[in-house]
Parts: sequence; structure tokens; C-alpha cells
Amino acid sequence: MTAILEVRKLSAGYGPLRVLHEIDLAVAPGERVGLVGLNGHGKTTLLRSVMGLVDWRRGELELDGKSILRTPAHRLARAGVVLMPQGDALFPGLSVRDNLDSGAFAAGWRERKQRRDRVLQLFPRLADRLGQSAGTLSGGERRMCSLGRGLMTNARVFLIDEPSLGLAPGIAAGLFSTLRELDLEGGTLILAEQNRTLLEGWIDRIVRIHHGQVAGIERGSPGPDGGPAEGEGPETER
Amino acid sequence: MTDVVTTINLAAVYGLIGVGISLTWAGLGFLNLAHGVTFAAALYGAWWTQENISDYPGVIFLGGVVVGALAGAIVCVSVFLPLDGRPNWDFRSIVASLGLSIIGIYTFFLVFGPQRKSIDFLFGTTKFKLGGTTITADKSGAIISANVVMILVVVALMKSRIGLGVRALTQNPEGAALVGIGRRQAAFAILMVSGALAGFAAVLLSQIFYPEPNIGYLPLLKGLIVALLGGLGSIGGAVVAALLVGGTEAVTSHYLDPGWILVTQFGLIAVVLLVRPRGVAGILEGTRA
Repeated sequence: MTAILEVRKLSAGYGPLRVLHEIDLAVAPGERVGLVGLNGHGKTTLLRSVMGLVDWRRGELELDGKSILRTPAHRLARAGVVLMPQGDALFPGLSVRDNLDSGAFAAGWRERKQRRDRVLQLFPRLADRLGQSAGTLSGGERRMCSLGRGLMTNARVFLIDEPSLGLAPGIAAGLFSTLRELDLEGGTLILAEQNRTLLEGWIDRIVRIHHGQVAGIERGSPGPDGGPAEGEGPETER
Repeated sequence: MTDVVTTINLAAVYGLIGVGISLTWAGLGFLNLAHGVTFAAALYGAWWTQENISDYPGVIFLGGVVVGALAGAIVCVSVFLPLDGRPNWDFRSIVASLGLSIIGIYTFFLVFGPQRKSIDFLFGTTKFKLGGTTITADKSGAIISANVVMILVVVALMKSRIGLGVRALTQNPEGAALVGIGRRQAAFAILMVSGALAGFAAVLLSQIFYPEPNIGYLPLLKGLIVALLGGLGSIGGAVVAALLVGGTEAVTSHYLDPGWILVTQFGLIAVVLLVRPRGVAGILEGTRA
């Protein structure tokens, strides 16, 4: 099957610092990929370099077979690639409603109310905060708002960076249960996460990033909802 | 009472100029020193419209606003787009906008000559009394129309898709890019709206500021004072700052001398920024930094 997103020999970094070293990764439609690895080894840089949010990058990046190496972030967002970054990237002075609605800026502005209602069903806590400035939300609520904004888009490629970071275990579990339920509709999800146990049972492939390189690719661990078959165990492909 | 009316009149018009400068800074990180020449271009546009198309006030207003918006687009194409994202963008954009301003002034000299032009009274010459004070149609018209335009701008910013895009850009440019808001496309909208507001202000002030090549300097200075005092990027701050600036101007010219106006206005900026570095916006938000 043709990859929806393909990364070939991708190197990237900030100023003189080279963080990624010739990464290769192809993600098929409908696939859920988890990026794991220690802090500072390039998970975030890999997601940010797909969006072009690094100082420089070399190699090849393709979306649906077309090069996106020179495509700016806002055009990628319009093409259906959404990054939910570690820092949330919310608009702190705008209300939660405006933050959510901004997700419908690129496409679906007229249907924003229906989309917002759908997001509020997933994150009911945000319903009580709609008029509140996003800058006054708690850490967990900010993550919900950021994920909610991402779900307001009509994205096909979800790039999610450390959704559990700084969250209480209960809130993190709730967020992951929402992500698990996410209907990709032929799209894909790439999720960077340090807490590997949160990926168990629903992620199709786990990619280990070490020193800016792909150190190994494993099949996802078995899950009750259509994950890899019981007993297969992790399989290293590289 | 006369001072109050003058204050509100000046505040309304300076607010239009200051909001444009403030929006451009907050949304694009661009201190547009060509905003004064945009003001002058709009004045010439209004005068040209009166001389060549129609002397109907609505058409003259339209001429000024359209030329102001076009001047904003020229600033975008000639300064913002070529320099955006380049090293030392902040400094280079200021120098380039100043350069464009000088080119604009000399173009006005060449095309229209050094002599002043005049624009008719757009709101008529009638007067009425309010609390013992005579108010001219010009002043009342300027106050009402400037406030209507300001309200329309605020409503558009708060309710429209483009308005949300502009507000998002002022808050977090990276976050804006992640939801598909293009900085360069937004630049056109912001600079054209800023130019149109300067154009509207120019026509409202056309009985005090006549079309002549250098006429944009003082409105630019007033706009910068309002934007700085208000806290660059804050619309609410700019509105309150415009009232303070208009009030200072009215009181200074009444009790001291018009020659002291800029001195008292810069004194006001110094005091406010010493107490609240974020200007009036800092006072409104209760923040110090």
C-alpha cells in the first residue's frame, strides 16, 4: 500500500546542531505509529521537521507521494497535516471557544459549531471553560484544548507530541482513551511518547529513536481492539 | 465642555491610526513607519476623488479609504514580503518602511507639487449647541463615524474567520501556522485594513490636515504615541490610549500652548511606561511586564 507519509534520509536540526541523522520512515493509511526514546534524542524534532518547524532539514519528505520539503507549515495544515506540539501552541489570550474554532480556520469554518460539539463530547470538561482564556487553563485542560483544536481540523495526518507530559496519570489515561477511539478514516497518527505503557494495545508500530536515528521498529503489542495478534510479541525490523 | 468634545473627537480619529499601527506590530512584528505616508496618500486620494470623480461626501470618503487600503497593500508588497523571515527582519523592516515613506513624500512632491490642496466640509457647516458648547457638524460627524468604524473593526475581529486568524497571529505565530493561518496572506489583510483605517482617519481630519507631501509625519507620530501608550498589540489599550492622548492634546492647547502638545504627550508615555511597561494594556490586564 502506498505510504501516506514517507520520510527518506531525513536529517534536520537547529543552527549548527544536527539532531536527526538520515531517518527513514513510511507510514501507511490507517496506521498508528508510536515514537519512543529518551528525552533529547529527536522524537520532537522528527515531528517538527515534518511540519518544517526546524531551522534546516535535508533528505526527502512526501505526503501522498508528493514532496513537501519546501511546503510551509500553514500549507501543510491546510493539506490535512496537524501537529499537536508539546507546548500546546494555544492562543493564551483567546477564549477556549476561539482556540477550538481556530482548528476550523483552514477548512470547515461553516461547520465549526457541529465540530466543536463533537470535541466537547470527547472533552466535556472544556464545555464549562468555553468563555475562559486558554492561558488560565490547567495543564490537563490545555492538553485537551490543544487536542480538541487538532480534532476540529479535517486532518488526515495527526502528529501528536508527548500528550501525557506533565499530566496526572488519570488525566493522561483519559486523553489516551480518546486518542485510541479516534477514527482515522484512512488517515494516520504518529505519536511521540516517553511512557511506553500508554502505547500498548492500540499502536500498530513502535519506532525507537536513539541519537537522532531509527534504532529499531517493533510491531505494537497485542490489544483487545484489533491490534496485532496475541503471542506475536515485539519484532525488531531494523 | 469644549475640551471634552475636542478630546473625544481627536481620540476617535487618533484611535483609528493607532489601532492600525498596533495591529501591524502585534500580528506581524512590523513597526510600519510608512503609515504616515499611507495617511498622506489617502488624503490625496480623497482630494483627487473630489476633483475628478464626485464631490459627494460618501464618494470622497470611499476614495480616501480605498487609496489608504491600496497604500497598505503597497507597503506589504514592497517592504513586508521581500524582508519577512530574513535575518535582522525587525531592524530592516523599520529602515525599509522609512525609506518607502521618503520615496512616497518625494513622489507626492513630483506629482502634486508642494502646495496644499483642500477638501470640502464633508459633514456640512451646520452647528448645534450642547451644554452651552457649540459643536460643529464636522466634529460630531467625525466622532460618530470614527466610533462606528471602530466598532465595526472590533466586531469583524471578534466574529469573522479572518478576524480570528489575525487575533491568533497576534497571540502565537507558530500556533497560527499549525491551524493553517498563513502569515504572508494575513499580512495583506492586516496592512490593507490598517491602511483603510488611516485613510478614514485622514478624511475625517481633512479640515485640519490638508493634503500636502509632508502631512503624514504628525499623524504617524500620534499613531505611534497611541499604539505605544496602549501597549503595542492591544486594541482595548489603543482605544483608552487614544482618549488619553486626545485629552492631553485638548487640555495642553487650552491651558498651556499648542506648541507643548508633543512634550506633554511624550511625558505621559514616559510616566505610564515607567509604571506599567506594557502600557495601558498592562493596566487593563493588571500586569506589570
